[in-house]
Amino acid sequence: MSGIQLVLLTGVAFICLYFVIRLKKKLLDLVLLLLMIAAAVALIVWPDITTRLAKVLGVGRGADLVFYISILIFWFIILKLYDRVRRLERSFTDIIREDALKKAITPSNETEPGQ
Amino acid sequence: MNAAADNKIIVVIPAFNEGIVLKTIVDELALLKYIPVVVDDGSRNDLANLIDQKKAFVLRHRVNLGQGAALQTGIEFARRLNADYIVTMDADGQHDIASIPSLLEPIFSGETDVALGSRFLVKADTKVPAKRRLLLQLARIINFLLSGFWLSDAHNGFRALNKTAFEKIQLTENRMAHASEILFELKLRKLRFKEVPVRVVYTEYSMHKGQSAWDSIKILFDLILHKLFR
Repeated sequence: MSGIQLVLLTGVAFICLYFVIRLKKKLLDLVLLLLMIAAAVALIVWPDITTRLAKVLGVGRGADLVFYISILIFWFIILKLYDRVRRLERSFTDIIREDALKKAITPSNETEPGQ
Repeated sequence: MNAAADNKIIVVIPAFNEGIVLKTIVDELALLKYIPVVVDDGSRNDLANLIDQKKAFVLRHRVNLGQGAALQTGIEFARRLNADYIVTMDADGQHDIASIPSLLEPIFSGETDVALGSRFLVKADTKVPAKRRLLLQLARIINFLLSGFWLSDAHNGFRALNKTAFEKIQLTENRMAHASEILFELKLRKLRFKEVPVRVVYTEYSMHKGQSAWDSIKILFDLILHKLFR
């Protein structure tokens, strides 16, 4: 086993530990997570899998294939996060607006604002 | 000609860190029997203290949300006040109060639901600074591509709306992208609109408060997101 494999496996182990502690209530999430962990471990221990897959797809090296797919995934995540931010902003705006409407200052002589 | 005395015309003024010019605007509006609603968009200093509180309604966002959000708050408030007509204008003195009647005229006559102020339809004294002119031309093209409306002035906050319009229009873009969003709304709600020449006065103060080139990139980004995540 090479050094990089040890580093990656340690990282995966920590991520796994963190999520198991946080998500222990939801069975489905846990199963999904364990599947992903298993896939990650398999790809780290037997890197030939990615290389063979890369060859099939016409990419030179396995590492390159992983890199390209990561870019796509990151773009997707960024867009989802932006969407989340915008929805958050909308509810935040509603609250601030409601507060402003409630506390509106009325001119002291409302009937004759021209005075 | 004093239509303001017979109708409830509410003038919504979104304001952020404005100076004494806001007080002048409110004073002049009140004198002409318009009802000013100032929406303080979380300014550093409470703008309610700046203006004559006998003359205007003042609402305050507790944090700064942006001009679009402040406009929507003002429109919402005007609805609750039972407005007949709503006029929106900037707080930096760019918009000439004397132009309000010409904005309202096609609405009174039933010709249109919404009047959009245009600084480029004015023949005389249109002294739009060159850099500003270029940015507005670009905005015009973008607005056309996104909304299908070819306007002469893309980003003018001087507008008038009748009841049909302000009951329907809902602005969700908090920042400056509201100027394009209002076009999407006009299209979606099938509202009639017309561009009306208005005078825009550029002062050093208003130029300082105005939009930079960088701001327009941010607006474009907001617009793309708006279209992506409706």
